[in-house]
Amino acid sequence: MSEEAVNKENQGTQRQKYSEKEAARVFDQEFMPHVNSMYNFAYRLTFDEDDAKDLVQDTYLKAFRFINSFEQGTNAKAWLFRILKNSFINEFRKKSKQPAKVDYNEVESYYNSDDIDESITTDLRVETVQHMIGDEITLAMNSIPVDFRTVIILSDLEGFTYEEMSKILDIPIGTVRSRLHRARNMMKEKLSSYAKEMGYNK
Amino acid sequence: MSEFSDWFKSSFKECYCDKGNLIDEKRFSEIIQLVLDNEADEESRAIFEQKIRTCVKSNGNYEREKCVQETIKQKLCEHKQEIPEDLANTIKKSIGL
Repeated sequence: MSEEAVNKENQGTQRQKYSEKEAARVFDQEFMPHVNSMYNFAYRLTFDEDDAKDLVQDTYLKAFRFINSFEQGTNAKAWLFRILKNSFINEFRKKSKQPAKVDYNEVESYYNSDDIDESITTDLRVETVQHMIGDEITLAMNSIPVDFRTVIILSDLEGFTYEEMSKILDIPIGTVRSRLHRARNMMKEKLSSYAKEMGYNK
Repeated sequence: MSEFSDWFKSSFKECYCDKGNLIDEKRFSEIIQLVLDNEADEESRAIFEQKIRTCVKSNGNYEREKCVQETIKQKLCEHKQEIPEDLANTIKKSIGL
């Protein structure tokens, strides 16, 4: 990501001029506490431990290089997540070990069309989900397209608000709401099919 | 007024027939999501709570959705990837801290 791109992410915030010591302190106190969340996010995007590690390291290097674009007291976690997400999209996907490539705009426009509602399940039972283990739920999440998986991770695992997600993903807040709804329905659909296969619904 | 006030009002209205019965469960599930995610403003939330107190079907949908969403969230949170031990140190070293 170029300096221009990072600066664009901070439109409206004033560029800082940290001394070396201040930069080190900001990095250590404001950025480093999020390393675990960053790794989990990276892993859920890449499905590979080494790739996730590289992605997180790359994100932190960029964060340090462009630290003057970060204003203390603002949301460091959201700033870091945005850099990571952009790194994943712009650079990482290109060299990703994942063979399958999907046109996510196409997927989203399909899932945002009115027709898809007809096939979305609403009959997933509470007991069914309660009987499932974390692995099964995680597999269901991992099987949905990355742009939809991302909103579930940001909202349900990391607790970001719609407004924060809108900034991280660079999409309108209304799109966050609808994408999240689609994503959760896709997950329920997966869980429901899985439950039928496993005989959980009998 | 929150970002979704107008959307909430029009969507909520479309969920119910003139007699006040829930007729559009899919749209209602979008409203439930907004409430569960704490993205509905006070006025919208009050309208919603009033309805689920008086409409059995709305209340049933809300309770089921809430429970499914909470369970999924809880199980996903419990199932996090183990963090590589040396990651934080490697990052710090790489930038000379």
